[in-house]
Amino acid sequence: MMDVKTAGRRFAAAASLVVSLLLAASGAHAQATYRIHVDGLACPFCAYGIEKKLSAVEGVARVETDIASGTVAVTMSGEATLDEATARRAVKEAGFSLRGFEALAPVPSGGVAK
Amino acid sequence: MRRPVVAALVPLWLSGAAAWSAPITFNTALPVHEGGWVLREIYLKLADDPTPARREMRVAGVVSVLGYGLTRDLALFGMLPWFDKRLDMRAGAAEGRRDARGFGDLGVVGRYTVLERNAPGRTFRVAPFVGVKAPSGRDDARDRRGRLPPPLQPGSGTWDVLGGVVATWQTLDVQLDAQASYQANGEAHDFQAGDVARLDGSLQYRLWPRRLAGGVPAFLYGVLEANLGHAARDRIGGDRDPDSGGTTLFVSPGLQYVTRKWIAEAGVQIRVVQNLNGAALGHDYGVSAGFRINF
Repeated sequence: MMDVKTAGRRFAAAASLVVSLLLAASGAHAQATYRIHVDGLACPFCAYGIEKKLSAVEGVARVETDIASGTVAVTMSGEATLDEATARRAVKEAGFSLRGFEALAPVPSGGVAK
Repeated sequence: MRRPVVAALVPLWLSGAAAWSAPITFNTALPVHEGGWVLREIYLKLADDPTPARREMRVAGVVSVLGYGLTRDLALFGMLPWFDKRLDMRAGAAEGRRDARGFGDLGVVGRYTVLERNAPGRTFRVAPFVGVKAPSGRDDARDRRGRLPPPLQPGSGTWDVLGGVVATWQTLDVQLDAQASYQANGEAHDFQAGDVARLDGSLQYRLWPRRLAGGVPAFLYGVLEANLGHAARDRIGGDRDPDSGGTTLFVSPGLQYVTRKWIAEAGVQIRVVQNLNGAALGHDYGVSAGFRINF
């Protein structure tokens, strides 16, 4: 016979699985992710400006720069999306040039990624 | 007393404008992001050679610099130095020490990027700049012998203007900067410091990390700079001072540790060539250390 502790643990695991499946089905946790290719970025101190400008864009949850490849990964929060024109403006205001813009993760329904 | 280290102090407000990842002793053409601020604090110490009169002047200073990206191409820098100046005379009737300390002149420099070529992991930029130095510092310091000579005053008492152009080529491994500038000095108290023309060059080489992995690692740069300056003769009461002005060349090795948010740096300015007029005081060496913060 199962004790109360084991039963509780199994219930929590099952509940977690159900919630995950529901979230996956609704697409609610599928945050849009983009990779931005930046020209002119060649030192750590300069990376700060790009990260600051992109982080200020509405809906941006996380910005991660890879200086060696000159790319910036942008993860959006919720169902927010990022369009190329907005990314280009942020990179330009930071003093650099946008070379490329890719949508990596599925864009939530209703969202637009260019 | 002549004008000993005014020419040597010119780089001070030029380097003040170098608020970004940049040479230690002068400016750069690298961008200041729009709406971005950067604070730079520089400590420097300059010393002059003892002359036959056994004069020796030492200048220690701290320069506070605040930079702002007005637009992506136009950056403004405000600089306020604080000086501790000492002149020791060890021979003749004037034997003894004269000194003064206090805030120097407030300087403002505007820099505009006119040419920009970006590629993956590299950039080339050219940016002219103009600046003005206001007579905001104290220029009437006195001791028991009377008013201190102009070079010992923390402030100049004059409006001075500065213009020049800086070019920067930066890759992930190396950075080259070159600058040409000219400073025209005004007159106060019957004294006019000679105008100063300068040519500067800088090579920065990434020493560490040798290989770049992911993310934004901190860089350690080795820095080698050269500063060539020519100062015209001063004018005292309208007449040229034969014991002032001349040409100097310094080589400045240094180290710079650059992170995303801050930079720490230090360098030594070593005299290589010094061709001065008359008995003008020479410039022996300089030491500078500082940090910059992005916000």
